[in-house]
Amino acid sequence: MRKKIGLGTKKELDAQLNLTPFIDLLSTMVCFLLITAVWIEIGTVEVKQSHGSAAKTQKSESFDLDIIFKNDKEVRVDLKKGSKRVRRLIVKDENFESMMVKLNTEIKNNILVFKKKAIEIATATVTPKSTVDYGSLIMTLDVLRKNKIVNIGVLTAKGN
Amino acid sequence: MILNQSLVASDAFEKHLINKKRKKHWGIKAMGFTLMLTSMVDMFSMLVVFLLQTFSSSPEIMVTKGIQIPDSITPSVVKEAPVLALSKDGNMYLDQKLVGKTISILKKPNNLLNKLNTIKSQWASSHSTPFAGEINLQADKEIKSTSVATIMGILTTSQFQSIELAVIGHR
Repeated sequence: MRKKIGLGTKKELDAQLNLTPFIDLLSTMVCFLLITAVWIEIGTVEVKQSHGSAAKTQKSESFDLDIIFKNDKEVRVDLKKGSKRVRRLIVKDENFESMMVKLNTEIKNNILVFKKKAIEIATATVTPKSTVDYGSLIMTLDVLRKNKIVNIGVLTAKGN
Repeated sequence: MILNQSLVASDAFEKHLINKKRKKHWGIKAMGFTLMLTSMVDMFSMLVVFLLQTFSSSPEIMVTKGIQIPDSITPSVVKEAPVLALSKDGNMYLDQKLVGKTISILKKPNNLLNKLNTIKSQWASSHSTPFAGEINLQADKEIKSTSVATIMGILTTSQFQSIELAVIGHR
């Protein structure tokens, strides 16, 4: 024990940390967190399919977007107001990745800005082709979601 | 007895005694190790901080074996729902149980529809809220997007309208 210096009953200034329970707690936490750790983050991309009457009840004044794949290097983008087409764009490039970059730019500049006004897209539909794989479809959905278009449906086209 | 410290100029017994003495010394040395507590506590604290940062309390879904799910830069949180999986080898699984070949189900979806109806009726019996229509869809990134789209159409006709496509998140 350390001797007290001086007169009076002053408390010691040296605080001692009890290391044993501290290390116990830390090792328990490390074990628990290592067991419950998630190394691969699995997420989801939500697709809302409209069904029967739900599709008909959409507002006639809202803007909708249709993305139709011609092949894995070309897409047709139709902007619709109500059921009437107001703008059509053809986006194509040498490969799928560069086409997606182009599509992103086109959506940002020519779809989300209509007649010099920013618009909101109520619903978007993507119609894939058999030459397009599922990974590429997810990339297309990513482009839409990146541009804050979240109500997305996937359609099937005849003659795929 | 005074032992010669060299093993060269001693007889067999002396050699044995020297060896014994040396081993005794090694034993004492080995017992006298010190644990560097400061660096150990530092390491533990850093590990705890890192693991707490990467800790996720959201529900996790099992990815069916043999399926390479695509990457996404805009992932949402996984919801607890039945899991329909389409593997690259052409099999379809519902909640890890084989349903059949995807091609045959695309032509004749009765088997899948029956299983989906069973899930719906189980939901209705255990919940008081209306059916949410949520389903997780896992598909290999290399399969045809039209196959996935057709399956999504089948799911929609079976009132599963909110389809969560499983992806690996990259933010």
